[in-house]
Amino acid sequence: MSSKWTSRIIIGITLTFLIGPFLIIILAGLSAGDFMTFPPDGISLKWYLKVFTVESFRASFALSMFLAVFGTIAALILGIPAAYAISRYDIPYAETIKTIVAAPIIVPGIIVGLALLRYLVVPLGFTVTLALFLAHTALVLPYAVRVVSSSLNNLRGDMEEAAVLLGCSRIGAFMRVVLPNIQSGVLAAFILGFVTSFNQVPVSLFLSGPGVRTLPIDMLSYMEMTYDPSVAALSALLAFLSVIIVFVAEKFLGFSRYV
Amino acid sequence: MFQNNREGLALALPAAVFTAILFLLPIGMLLSEAFQVDGHWSLRGYLDFASKPLNQTVFWRSLKLAGLVAMTSAVIGYACAFCIINLDGKNRGRIFGLIVLPLMISPVARTYAWIVILGRTGIVNDAIIGLGLSDTPIRILFTETAVFIGLLQLFLPLMIISLISSMENLPKDVIAASRVLGASWLQVFTKVILPLTKDGLVLGGTLVFTGSLTAYITPAILGGSKVLMLETLLYQRVNVANDFVSAGVIATILIVMSFGANILLKRIAAIRS
Amino acid sequence: MSNAFVSLQKLSLAYGSNIVVPELDLDIVEGELIALLGPSGCGKTTTMRAIAGLMAPQSGRIYIDGIDMTRMPANKRGIGLVFQSYALFPHLTTFENAAFGLRLKKLPQAEITQIVERGLRAVGLDRLADRKPAEMSGGQQQRLSLARSLVMQPKVLLLDEPLSNLDARLRLEMRAELQRVQKETGITMVFVTHDQSEALALADRIVLMNNGIIEQIGTPDELYGAPKTKFAADFFGFENIFEVEGNTIKGAAQSLPLGFESTSKYLAWRPGAIDVGVGNFSGIVRGSAFAGEQREYIIESKIGQVHAATPAADPSYKIGEEIVFDFPQDHSLPLAR
Ligand SMILES: Nc1ncnc2c1ncn2[C@@H]1O[C@H](COP(=O)(O)OP(=O)(O)OP(=O)(O)O)[C@@H](O)[C@H]1O
Ligand SMILES: [Mg+2]
Repeated sequence: MSSKWTSRIIIGITLTFLIGPFLIIILAGLSAGDFMTFPPDGISLKWYLKVFTVESFRASFALSMFLAVFGTIAALILGIPAAYAISRYDIPYAETIKTIVAAPIIVPGIIVGLALLRYLVVPLGFTVTLALFLAHTALVLPYAVRVVSSSLNNLRGDMEEAAVLLGCSRIGAFMRVVLPNIQSGVLAAFILGFVTSFNQVPVSLFLSGPGVRTLPIDMLSYMEMTYDPSVAALSALLAFLSVIIVFVAEKFLGFSRYV
Repeated sequence: MFQNNREGLALALPAAVFTAILFLLPIGMLLSEAFQVDGHWSLRGYLDFASKPLNQTVFWRSLKLAGLVAMTSAVIGYACAFCIINLDGKNRGRIFGLIVLPLMISPVARTYAWIVILGRTGIVNDAIIGLGLSDTPIRILFTETAVFIGLLQLFLPLMIISLISSMENLPKDVIAASRVLGASWLQVFTKVILPLTKDGLVLGGTLVFTGSLTAYITPAILGGSKVLMLETLLYQRVNVANDFVSAGVIATILIVMSFGANILLKRIAAIRS
Repeated sequence: MSNAFVSLQKLSLAYGSNIVVPELDLDIVEGELIALLGPSGCGKTTTMRAIAGLMAPQSGRIYIDGIDMTRMPANKRGIGLVFQSYALFPHLTTFENAAFGLRLKKLPQAEITQIVERGLRAVGLDRLADRKPAEMSGGQQQRLSLARSLVMQPKVLLLDEPLSNLDARLRLEMRAELQRVQKETGITMVFVTHDQSEALALADRIVLMNNGIIEQIGTPDELYGAPKTKFAADFFGFENIFEVEGNTIKGAAQSLPLGFESTSKYLAWRPGAIDVGVGNFSGIVRGSAFAGEQREYIIESKIGQVHAATPAADPSYKIGEEIVFDFPQDHSLPLAR
């Protein structure tokens, strides 16, 4: 039985290391004092409430939401057909296309942001918001393609042929037969893309202008200036939000197999 | 498999063209800029960069920390993955969920927690002073140790997940069988588990190494300007000095190393087998 | 030719540069039940897919009911295909699976309900109308797949190994079902199989394929009784096939005189046709098996392996024992190639 205990201890320590800090940050945000300490100086909800009143947090939260939702939708619009083509057609240069589409995962984000700033925003007059939108779309695209591909590969291709022989057009077969059966994969791709985009920092680092900042960037600059517990409170809220999303996604989609 | 390849290409091309034009093209331009000094093609940008001691320090530090984080996470990852894989189905799913969970949480939030823990008035220093080990708080924040801890926490889940998925393919009774055949635990690990989970280790190792190497948030929050790493250095060069040549050089280094690590680890795996 | 309902003319089929069917000609009469028979990989599925329009031929023409279908898209051909894997739609109920094609035709709801209910009743699935495919047995899925095609009243119904995924009992049941459906509807059907007994039992005519080439077309009687080629004879149970020249039989190691003169290239005998106990040939029994009515032997002789069978009541030979036998002229099958 000793090996059982060893195993429990190892898992326990690892989980404490991975998750413990969040518990601490939740408590640190509950502080009644004006500075970050642990254990907190008294208990109050004032920092949790303050987060909602900080104007820049509200603006950057809205921008991050916008990017995460619409960037991911755009990535799915580009990515679903690509995933479909890769899994169902014998297209030429398939490997090259796969590599190109997957590249944003491997290329460090900060370089992407800088490159877009220098060659799209400055010379071509793209707005920072547009550049951010394009960058986030490209960044989420590989995840969209990967997750949708894996659910397409679990779906037999002869179903579409059966639909075509019953009178469907190729697109009709996709809409009527394929899409309903990869729904949960698409939803999982959306959630993964949303979370990736929302939490993304390096890409957005250079692509920030006056009044245009994503939430994580805003948090970074806020914590440089102030040492009050509001960032802890905000972090705790974001973590809580993620936990809920993941919990629901896991419950309904078996999300963790797509990560 | 449909035969109409033109149709297939029409479906796949928008994504590829989008990425190529909006992503690869600007990056290619940025990288080529490092080879141009005063409008001429030259390697001077690289030579200048390499000659500065600060840059050298940052370069080696980034490599060292990324390597250390990858190795540490491999050790912890094996122990942890092995324990998880031996749990029964329901518990395994739960624990796996808890390991995946941090990946979904904002890295800014994840890293910020360490300020509370490692800061001058943080838990660790409270404990040290409380235990009488030191009279004054010791500086942990803004040291390589802090960055190391932050990176490890950030990337350990990736290693564990990779190892678990490769261990799931282990034939059920190989470990018991090799124990019965008289192998020690060390032999079981080096002769059985390691070769069979090599792919997971390579994947996890690549993810953790390149992730750490190209990290921005952790060194920015926990290292500050005292413990610069490649990405924070890049940011500083651009923001403080408008130095796009250095930026291009660092970008090249980051990209080459990311792809290089990928290829190298694959090679190592191939040679071992 | 004029009464051909389906006509494949000089059809050539390839995957990329890999030519699977070099040139195929086949005429099928309306209302026929055709079996496409041949070993794995000979191009049966490929031929089917070409008829259905799921794959474009490299050259050649496909006519159905007098119309050139060669370039017609698959969804306009009005051909049904029952997939080996059933290819049911997992997100739809039995009823909706069967109604899928009718809904695309935009028939009124009442008519759809009526047709589908009749179709499901015909295959015995009317009680399972609200089930999803995952909740049905293999045989039920198979019948749904059949019903889904049948309600469309296709001009031609193609079935790719319709029975191969079923267990022995269900297979017999489905055989009967297929024959009944075909009688009742009169639909022209082509089914793929690599099981010769299935082809013999079901088909009006058998198309025997090998390596993308049609070896022989004929009724079950013709193919079973008088295969024309070495391949066909081998496929239909002629286990002793030998090359002959005049009155010698050419074995692998040695040629021996045959008791009669022959002008064909090969001669073939079924095991039961070999005379045992008398004759000019001898060999050693290497294998012996009791198979109900008869006892089968594998004999090693100077011209190679010979398969023989004797009535079970006859005296038996042991393994290793010497045995004499003969190749009689009257049960020999001459083969040109
Ligand atoms: N998509 C494909 N790409 C390339 N070659 C293929 C493809 N599908 C089949 N082939 C090849 O074409 C040949 C004929 O295949 P086909 O599926 O028509 O055989 P079959 O007679 O149906 O065999 P089986 O009884 O095993 O189903 C085979 O050699 C096969 O390897
Ligand atoms: Mg086949």
